[in-house]
Amino acid sequence: MGKKKYNEGCELDMTPMIDVVFQMIIFFIVTIKMDENVNEDIKLELAKEGPLYKDPDPTTIVVEVDRRGWISINNLALSEQQLGNIIGGRYRRLGKTFPIMIRADKNAQHKDVRKVMDICTAQGLWRIDFAAIKEPVGR
Amino acid sequence: MAKRRKSRNKGEAAKLEMTPMIDVVFQLLIFFIVTLKEVDILSHLDISRPAPDSKATPENQVDDLLTVQIGKQGWVLNGSPYMGEVGLSKLDKQLTRMASFSKNTSVIIKCTGDSPHSSLIRVLNILAREGMMNISVFSL
Repeated sequence: MGKKKYNEGCELDMTPMIDVVFQMIIFFIVTIKMDENVNEDIKLELAKEGPLYKDPDPTTIVVEVDRRGWISINNLALSEQQLGNIIGGRYRRLGKTFPIMIRADKNAQHKDVRKVMDICTAQGLWRIDFAAIKEPVGR
Repeated sequence: MAKRRKSRNKGEAAKLEMTPMIDVVFQLLIFFIVTLKEVDILSHLDISRPAPDSKATPENQVDDLLTVQIGKQGWVLNGSPYMGEVGLSKLDKQLTRMASFSKNTSVIIKCTGDSPHSSLIRVLNILAREGMMNISVFSL
């Protein structure tokens, strides 16, 4: 009987562990981004010297060009005609120019990137950004 | 009745059972750790693009104009070719030297259709480091 009592005193205190685990869960819930819709297939080129891409203009249109030359926005494949309609429509709605960001795969050919740039200039947008990786995280 | 009173007196039955909660919490934790994907920090390289119909690639070149041609194999800076990775570091030195004269020099980049996008980004990276602002990209 006395022995049993002695063992009970050794019971693991769970409270600090639960505290830490809850903190971690809250951290992950806060940092998770469910709505990010980017084409995972696109591998960007490294450009460490480029200015940091931070707090982009909310009117920016990010156009993706993968290595096969397929054009998409938010991972939704588009034809050149559709892209022209989207850009033209936004230009008319806003009544001013807005930034265009091209996320092109490093192995994409220039002729495919050119298609996107030509569509933009045809709509009167001549200012174009290229996305590149400043600091690779992980991997 | 007597039995119940006995157990209540002990005061042990009122202890909260933690095991299921800890199980659930660990499941949640593992879910969030697995689905967490780290996002690369991005940079942006700005260029201006002349209208596609204006075929006026400036032939009446001003003296302080840098022209970089990008092909499938490498780069051509003001007429002299630079090929491959070694060529890139030479091109880097040459561009750095030229940029040290003036930051306002207009840079014209001409890309052929079959040149990889990475070649363009690498040149833009060098130009961004040197603080060159007037960059136009033409397509050949």
